[in-house]
Amino acid sequence: MRELRTEEFIVNMGPQHPSTHGVCRLVLTMDGEKIVKIEPVIGYLHRAIEKVMENRTYSQCIPMMDRVEYVTSMSCEYVFSLATERIAEMEVPERAKYLRVIMLELNRIASHLLFYGVTAMDIGALTPFLYGMRERELIIDLFEMTCGQRLTYNYIRIGGVSKDIPKGFEQKCRSALKVIAEKMSDYEGLLNENPIWLKRTKGVGILPKELAIAYGVSGPNLRASGVQYDLRRNDPYCIYDKFDFDIPVRYNGDCFDRYILRLDEIKQSMRIIYQALDGLPEGDVKNKKVKLTFKPPAGETYTRIENSRGELGVYLISDGGKKPLRVKTRGASFNHVQILPHFSTNMLIADLVANFATLDIIMPEVDR
Amino acid sequence: MGIIKKLPIYSEKFPGGGIVTTSLEAALNQGRAKSLWYLLFGTACCAIELMCTGASRYDFDRLGMIFRATPRQADLILCAGTITKKMAPRLRRLYDQMAEPRYVIAMGGCTINGGPFYYDSYSVEKGIDHIIPVDIYIPGCPPRPESLMEGCIHLQEKIKKQKLLDWQEK
Amino acid sequence: MTRDELRAYIAEHYDGRLKPLKTGKYDPLYEVAVDKIFEVAKALKEDDNLKFDFLCNLGGVDTGEHFEAVYNIASISNNLRLDFKVIMSYDQAEVESLQEIWPAINWYEREMWELYGINVKNHDNLTRFLLPDDWDQGHPMRKDWDAPDFKRKPEL
Ligand code: SF4
Repeated sequence: MRELRTEEFIVNMGPQHPSTHGVCRLVLTMDGEKIVKIEPVIGYLHRAIEKVMENRTYSQCIPMMDRVEYVTSMSCEYVFSLATERIAEMEVPERAKYLRVIMLELNRIASHLLFYGVTAMDIGALTPFLYGMRERELIIDLFEMTCGQRLTYNYIRIGGVSKDIPKGFEQKCRSALKVIAEKMSDYEGLLNENPIWLKRTKGVGILPKELAIAYGVSGPNLRASGVQYDLRRNDPYCIYDKFDFDIPVRYNGDCFDRYILRLDEIKQSMRIIYQALDGLPEGDVKNKKVKLTFKPPAGETYTRIENSRGELGVYLISDGGKKPLRVKTRGASFNHVQILPHFSTNMLIADLVANFATLDIIMPEVDR
Repeated sequence: MGIIKKLPIYSEKFPGGGIVTTSLEAALNQGRAKSLWYLLFGTACCAIELMCTGASRYDFDRLGMIFRATPRQADLILCAGTITKKMAPRLRRLYDQMAEPRYVIAMGGCTINGGPFYYDSYSVEKGIDHIIPVDIYIPGCPPRPESLMEGCIHLQEKIKKQKLLDWQEK
Repeated sequence: MTRDELRAYIAEHYDGRLKPLKTGKYDPLYEVAVDKIFEVAKALKEDDNLKFDFLCNLGGVDTGEHFEAVYNIASISNNLRLDFKVIMSYDQAEVESLQEIWPAINWYEREMWELYGINVKNHDNLTRFLLPDDWDQGHPMRKDWDAPDFKRKPEL
């Protein structure tokens, strides 16, 4: 039979599109229903954070880091503080380390809950969004109780954390985790065996392992493709080597695996928080030597940690002055947007949305 | 205005409860104020708070605010997040695509004057009022859901004071 | 391999090509000559004992005296980390593209080209993507860059 071909045409998706998570623009070349070529256009949220940080003192940089990746701001603050501490070779009190771990893991859960809701909404199920956001509020309450902010915390500072947790935090944290643990079965019940959900995600958007490594994919997306690589285990920072937790891995690399892996991670994060709460020592929460006009010695380092999206890194250069010479941030989403054209062609637009959503891309990390 | 407040009392007293007498202006304003559908225009951090406001705990829907993905169906741009120089022409275009009467809420420091990027960012638009007219400013970085809701209530008050010919004159 | 073993291994096998720098804290940092960059990167990836297969990051730097390009690489199979940088003078700001070795570097090189004006040889798509399409104010991340709406914060 003669092969039929239709004329190619171009569809513009974004920058104002509810399922591009912010302001990513994709220029799609279509052949009928199939996508032939994808060209991501980024930069709609380029806020010049790197340039701005060269103009601020070290302590002023931390609020700017919050805005690099606002869904898990705690890890952004943490990675900058850690980089500075490594350059200054500074000690951090033990209690502060535990508090940092608790906050980082709580933030990871909050981010994954947001992922759960938003991804389901993008694929067409509205209820999970309300469920996910409901439990997220419990965690946000804990943050608000500790530092007064709901989103951009400025809690983890150079040399420790800004203040100790208030009375009653521990108990409230435990009860919040208990609620979330109970609700996990609701989450799984809503989607895991839902035939529409399975049709939309199983076998869709398979990301092969080799391609993932070559393009620098990291975090849950890499682990869903069968690579057991988690910086909390492979390049331990803070006190993660003291805790007992598993690294979930999945092997198909499709949208369903990327989704289910994040639910598994929530459970592991809860395990870590329980252990940290149990072992929380008494003492100071801040290194007293750090002043507002703190000057680390000259030096440079690339520091990376595992946040909910993957590898979050900072290349920090200090020339011994009050302000950093250069802060280069590396967000996992930068690579995830970059790889999108390489494994999402030859599929339908609806599947592209599923793909985009399960990669858990967030734009400020890409544009900075 | 007064009649609107007493509306439930009056309408019950009418036989059958069906007929109300009011001015056209008040009826239109009431309709506009109580079902403000907003365009989902979240670009940065503030968008997360906007999502929280729309979700379970804060329940934006009870103010009659439902999000729309297309400007053609929206009455209001809830501009949440930083607008960069690259994004500014798109914001203008979306505003132009909306049907009148249209309103704008600037949510967060970034949309008011550039917020934390005021001094030294080369690519952030220092306030969206350079691009489109703004009705309500909500400060904060990000504003809490409560303040966002209060801002919307202020906008509703403002709409109720509108004159019928306000939009024709422009 | 621990960090010290890695340092010793590099000193033994890559002496002369990778020059250790003292400023690097925590992870080892090296300097590579601009014209050797492709060859060294290829060797680092193909060496079975190292196998640096993962590119973490690439960033341009303007120190006020010269340009630098810093490559941060990691090995997933051997669990290693290493940084190396090239130093370029202002009038010869050009590096070779390493796309063949780490495909992920594509966008990082584009970003460096756009914000610093460091030219990248053999790059397949060197086009503007972060700044507005009609941008005409040069390379904003350079230290001497200035514009009317760019104010430096007052000193503390
Ligand atoms: S006002 Fe603050 S929270 Fe809102 S978009 Fe700007 S930086 Fe983000």
